[in-house]
Amino acid sequence: MGYERACAIADVREDEAHAVVLGDMEVAVARNGDEFFAIQNLCSHAAVELSEGEVEDCQIECWLHGSRFDLRTGKPTSFPATEPVALFPVEVRGDDVYVDVTETINGVHPS
Amino acid sequence: MESHLHPEGSFDVDFHPVPTGREEIWRFTPLKRLRGLHTDADLSARTVGAEIDAPDGVVIEQVGQDSPVRGSSGFIPTDRIAARVWHQAGVTWSIGIPAGAELDRPVLITLTGKDNSVASATHAVITAGAHSRATVVLRFEGTATLADNVEIVVGDGAQLTVVSIDDWEDDAVHVGHRHTSVGRDATFKHVDVSFGGDLVRHDTTAEFAGPGGSVEMLGLYFADAGQHIEHRLFVDHTAPNTKSHVTYKGALQGEGAHTVWVGNVLIRKVAEGIETYEENRNLVLTDGCQADSVPNLEIETGEIVGAGHASATGRFDDEQLFYLRSRGVEENEARRLVVHGFFNDLIRKIGVPEIEASLVETVEAELAKNVLKDV
Repeated sequence: MGYERACAIADVREDEAHAVVLGDMEVAVARNGDEFFAIQNLCSHAAVELSEGEVEDCQIECWLHGSRFDLRTGKPTSFPATEPVALFPVEVRGDDVYVDVTETINGVHPS
Repeated sequence: MESHLHPEGSFDVDFHPVPTGREEIWRFTPLKRLRGLHTDADLSARTVGAEIDAPDGVVIEQVGQDSPVRGSSGFIPTDRIAARVWHQAGVTWSIGIPAGAELDRPVLITLTGKDNSVASATHAVITAGAHSRATVVLRFEGTATLADNVEIVVGDGAQLTVVSIDDWEDDAVHVGHRHTSVGRDATFKHVDVSFGGDLVRHDTTAEFAGPGGSVEMLGLYFADAGQHIEHRLFVDHTAPNTKSHVTYKGALQGEGAHTVWVGNVLIRKVAEGIETYEENRNLVLTDGCQADSVPNLEIETGEIVGAGHASATGRFDDEQLFYLRSRGVEENEARRLVVHGFFNDLIRKIGVPEIEASLVETVEAELAKNVLKDV
């Protein structure tokens, strides 16, 4: 399948991720300045959508219990989550963000 | 509803909003995998066929939506799926055991699903007449997206055993509600066995229509990688001098195996002299599994014989393994023996010989997938 268009750069706010569905995979697209990230849209703790939480300092926060995940590694930086979330490769092409959900870049198997 | 842990019941679908996953009764269930059973999926498919093998004397018929047999257990849907099934069930089976009848062999009902791309809904009512003795076995096979309600009415002084076996293929989704009304001095045993399916959730509830009744609920489940198996039990002690005993045991193996057990017992003010105990045990066989276990008790009177609950979740007991190893038993064999001991303790309480033997075999087959393969 390879890279698919996820959304436009303008869709992604600085402080909140943008939820998209690519194939069967729900992905949250987030940014840190001009860097873009695609993380599975599912907290590894209580299975809620990460796209509803805040993004700050290259971390995405789960709105329900407050676990934060590093957007570069997918690893949680605070409890209660202890397991990382799958990250997908991202390419910015022009004004659009492309994501490849067929592989992960942090070795986490999407759940 | 007197219970603080259960939503109020209603037959009206709109009374039960579409769950978001944050509700107490839905918080463990992966709603996205329910294939719309909890929202508005069409339940009109008829892809689950029933085969019934019953001894003489058992009255089996299909009844219409307006039959008084529906609701005769006092069942009122407490969630959206049960309410939807109430209105949309394509078939309502009525299985009647006449008063005083003593069946010499079990009633076997095999439900075989043929297609999981469309959703089906069924309703069944099992009625055991006063002072009858019977065993009814429900076996689910094949694959399906099924929501079903089963009502069970145990007449005064009757002794009824209902065994429900979810032996689905790996891609089935099954949400079942079972509600039992236990008559005066009646004895009811419910055995719930879940092995297969992608997502299986059973809400099993019981109430008492008169004093002196006794309920035993036994459960056995085995979750493999990616499987979600959830059991929610509720015994409502609505009459004095009644008994309930709930024991569920499960094993988990493989990445993403998830089991949920939520038990609750309500001891109402009227329920003096009752006795209740509920317990859940989970054996976690590999990494990557999650077992949630929540025992509850709501007590409105202290004038009772006893009430208690227990829950434990753990991996192999090193001391047990060490003991067996010290007796010259190989590692693999030792693990197998420990799991067998764990389940056999429960299997021998079922009291239906045909079922007991096949369950021991199934446990063995499940173990071969993981525990016994890598050593």
